[in-house]
Amino acid sequence: MKKLITALGLALLIAGCNATTPEKPASMKAQYEAALAETQAAVDKAASVGGEWRDIRWKKSKKKYLPSAIKAAEAGDYAKALKLLEIAKFQAEAGYKQAMAQKNAGPRF
Amino acid sequence: MTKLTQRLGGTTTVLALCAGLVFSAQVSADNIAEGKKIAFDRKKGNCLACHHIEGGTLAGTIAPPLVAMKQRFPDKAKLRAQIWDATVANPNTIMPPMGRHKILTEKEIDLVTDFIYSL
Amino acid sequence: MKKTLTLLLSAGLVATATQAFSSPKEDLEKFRTYFEQRFPGVQLNDFGNGPYALDASKRLQWESMEEFPPYEEYVDKGREIWETPFKNGKSFASCFGKDPSKVRVKYPHWDSKTQQVVTLEGDINKCLKENGEKPFGWKKGKIAHLGAYLGYEARGQKTNVVIPNDPKALEAYEEGKHFFYAKRGQLNMACADCHVYYSGQRIRGNTLSAALGHTTHFPVFRAKWAKKGKGDGLGTLHRRYGGCNKQVRARPFKAQGKEYRNLEFFHTYMSNGLEINAPGYRE
Ligand code: HEC
Ligand code: HEC
Repeated sequence: MKKLITALGLALLIAGCNATTPEKPASMKAQYEAALAETQAAVDKAASVGGEWRDIRWKKSKKKYLPSAIKAAEAGDYAKALKLLEIAKFQAEAGYKQAMAQKNAGPRF
Repeated sequence: MTKLTQRLGGTTTVLALCAGLVFSAQVSADNIAEGKKIAFDRKKGNCLACHHIEGGTLAGTIAPPLVAMKQRFPDKAKLRAQIWDATVANPNTIMPPMGRHKILTEKEIDLVTDFIYSL
Repeated sequence: MKKTLTLLLSAGLVATATQAFSSPKEDLEKFRTYFEQRFPGVQLNDFGNGPYALDASKRLQWESMEEFPPYEEYVDKGREIWETPFKNGKSFASCFGKDPSKVRVKYPHWDSKTQQVVTLEGDINKCLKENGEKPFGWKKGKIAHLGAYLGYEARGQKTNVVIPNDPKALEAYEEGKHFFYAKRGQLNMACADCHVYYSGQRIRGNTLSAALGHTTHFPVFRAKWAKKGKGDGLGTLHRRYGGCNKQVRARPFKAQGKEYRNLEFFHTYMSNGLEINAPGYRE
């Protein structure tokens, strides 16, 4: 009986642990890796048309969203990493769009 | 009798209106102060780089002074839209698209709009 | 019907063609006329004095600085660099010719052999490497000292960039021109927004200089660049390009990379006919 209770307790504990330790780290990591790949592609695309903005990854930027995201992920903070990647990706896409929109820029006089 | 009710009614409306005014003024006083801070901050709106705005120093001369904004923009939404993306009205404008390029957050643009609208 | 169509079409073609293929010479005429009309009281060479040509209140301050110019010691340092022999016994004169006053006006130029724009800084470092010396940094320090000396020796000579009728050279010119007029960065601004359309106006406390005359006084001594951690005050044109790119929150390009060399080609050509007055002093 005593044994049974301990076993039950253990089982419950394990179940409980399973429930509260979600697969979070694993799936956050996967999510991060996918976002990182997408962001890097977007940044390369912006750079290929000379449309990269200052704060994406330039070494003297105080923000450096992309390298900061990688650093955060290395420290295990995937939530922060994902937030920073979102900004970097937005900026890269906007920079590309801007360069395309400015393709025919010239004097207006 | 009818006159009395009318009068009473009138007073209540006035009272209600007054209460409403005081209330809304109070709410936006904080917003206006916050919006002003964002508008003047060089790292945020930096509107003073180009616009003269009352209460600001070292204003630029590039853009029209921001005064009597309720007259210029009776529709507050239009004012917000101008701040959110000035290139819609003028594709060649030098004014940065505060919202479209996420220079300011949506919340910050609301606050700045409150402030500019109060000018 | 058909005729009208072709007519319309060719009219359209002509219109777009003239826009796309306006020659450098036409560009230059329009550019200069724009500024002459915008600032009718300003003499052509005075545009080389940047904001001080356009803002009377700042001019006084600047004129008093120019009486004891802080860049003088760097001109002397540059002369020393020019005269000091390399380890192999040769000196800069072996690359640039004996007369230091004849160097500055040759730059930038199109090099048909390498098919690219060559700048003074590029040739300084090329000369060092060819002689087994360590190249200088691109943006400040010795490269700017030597540039200041060569500029000083060339004072009074006229800017005279030649755009040869070579499709590749024209392409480089067009790229530089496009760079100048295209909006970039999170703040979405073009060089032309500040230095053409709002030149003479103030952005915060700064009077915006006209792009006409922008290149004549480089390298420049800037009080801002003489602060701790920034260097001794002297800096090259490409250093300034980087600064103006990053203030609109665009990623600056590499000094002496293709983008800035092509920009320099266009930008300097626009000041053809203006006297060299390097080095200059700025806030
Ligand atoms: C780089 C210069 C610049 C900055 C910075 C700037 N503006 Fe402007 N703004 C302009 C110019 C120029 C105009 C005139 C219209 C045009 O050219 O697009 C303008 C127009 C406006 C107008 C319309 C005025 C009218 O009477 O029609 C409003 C409102 C405005 N700006 C608000 C702002 C606010 C709020 C900020 C800061 C968050 C700001 N601007 C920052 C340059 C600027
Ligand atoms: C936001 C406005 C702005 C933009 C956009 C901008 N600049 Fe500037 N630039 C300035 C200010 C302000 C100064 C310092 C005052 C002055 O000389 O105009 C300056 C100075 C300069 C100078 C030095 C002028 C002198 O007399 O020493 C050069 C050259 C220059 N800019 C080139 C450029 C080029 C090329 C671009 C485009 C890549 C550019 N600028 C874009 C604001 C701007």
